Amino acid sequence: MWQLLDSDLELVVESDFIYLPLLFDPEIEKETQVLLQTGKPLENSRQPEPKTIIKHKDRHFVKALSIQSLLDNYPAINSYSYRQLRNDCLRKYQLTRDVDDIFFDGPLRTILFQVMPYFIKKNRGLQRNKLNDEKILDLILEKVSIPARYFKEAKTFQDLGPLREIFKDLEDQQPIFKLPENGLYSGPELRDWLHNAVHAKVLANEHHRIAEALQIREQFSRAKPEHIAIMLYIADTGSIEIDDFGFTRNNSYKGEYFVYKRTRDYVLKDYYARSYLFPDCRVAVSTYTPFRPFVIEKYKHPFLLGHKAGQEICMRNFVPPNELTAQNVIRTIEEGLTAMRYGYDGRKRNGYHTLDKTWVHIPTIDFEDYRI
Amino acid sequence: MGLLKDIKHKRAKQRQKMPLRQDVFNQISSLVKRYGIKESFLDILDNIDDYPSGENLKLARVRLKAPMEGALFSLATKDEYALTMSIIAKINNSYLRFAHSPEEILLCKPLYCLNPSLSPEKLGRYHFETLFLHERAKIENNESHGHSTGKNK
Repeated sequence: MWQLLDSDLELVVESDFIYLPLLFDPEIEKETQVLLQTGKPLENSRQPEPKTIIKHKDRHFVKALSIQSLLDNYPAINSYSYRQLRNDCLRKYQLTRDVDDIFFDGPLRTILFQVMPYFIKKNRGLQRNKLNDEKILDLILEKVSIPARYFKEAKTFQDLGPLREIFKDLEDQQPIFKLPENGLYSGPELRDWLHNAVHAKVLANEHHRIAEALQIREQFSRAKPEHIAIMLYIADTGSIEIDDFGFTRNNSYKGEYFVYKRTRDYVLKDYYARSYLFPDCRVAVSTYTPFRPFVIEKYKHPFLLGHKAGQEICMRNFVPPNELTAQNVIRTIEEGLTAMRYGYDGRKRNGYHTLDKTWVHIPTIDFEDYRI
Repeated sequence: MGLLKDIKHKRAKQRQKMPLRQDVFNQISSLVKRYGIKESFLDILDNIDDYPSGENLKLARVRLKAPMEGALFSLATKDEYALTMSIIAKINNSYLRFAHSPEEILLCKPLYCLNPSLSPEKLGRYHFETLFLHERAKIENNESHGHSTGKNK
């Protein structure tokens, strides 16, 4: 069917059915003559059904597809195309779920407006001002290069006109699309019509979401477009990093994030005061329990059990917090960073592993490659 | 006992799958589509002699048919259908079903005029040009043989 709509064939629409050019063989020709005889009743003639074969400009066409049925079953007939059309349509009006939710995403707001200001260099010189939300967003704008397309999308986001119009039509129970009139159409013409009709149906199905989106956008209609662009960028990428501090979306749990701070390179000393240079890593805490610090990368350290990614840091007296607050996140990250950079005591050889080889245990993790 | 066996044998034969033979419409319609034959082909068909001179025919000793997988149930557009039916009406002989190329369609009528009783095996295996040259050579041989025997007398 899609090949037909993509071809340069001419198709006829009559009584909401698509008619295709009739192909012939001797049997079909005989049947056609019988069907086209004047006064000859068609099959199931009790109901006023559209004709099976019609003649248009001396060409024969055969009834093939019901437009209404095609439209109703479009998601099942071509799910890939439907998903694509739906996404295009929702993106056009910035209606993808994450976009609107992000403005009221609790953990994200905590990270952005309470945790981030603690870790990033926000003041120049000797000024010490407490930053409000708007200034934090301005700071992000200074330090992160946001691609231009997000600024364009921000304008679309704040333009409530088209969305209001659609919402009004839906509220007034207006027909969401008009079936094509009878006549001759090219394949691409019908395909375009079908795509528009699918768009209209998608919007009708998203009635509630449009109402919610309108409500949210009206609240943010006076916000700076640049700030909206930052939020759209975060909704899309799920991460931002400034001055070694950052966060990234936790793909395993929806709406959860990993908040992290980089250690940068640091040096630890062993029993004999020999130095070991440890590479940079990200010490993180999840917004989803347990609120324990861990290292995101594949990493080895005396306080990490193995040499792999996502290991919790061994901290003897650390009691993880019970709830997600900015203070708890800051404390957990700082405890983790301190443990990694200053927690190892070469004389005590504390932790899972020792930096120097003791020959008492079979060494599992070796730090010789870090020695300087 | 003999009768019972006979009946069983006949019934087994009836149940046997018979190969579906390509009919003339499917064959010519496939050729029309494959070679993009146009209306002008009908004019060429009108102008061809029943007994062509053979000057343009190749002297290859045996020319086999080009293999062709035609559609078993060919469907044609209105124009293709009209052209196919016109070709069938113009040639109107049983050899047309064995044509594998437009060239063979053109040779169909002359070949039929030379010998209308060629076996389907021959028609399906050899190119009509070869068959035509063969049939014509046979006739010429017969004529010359008759002529020479008449001269000896």
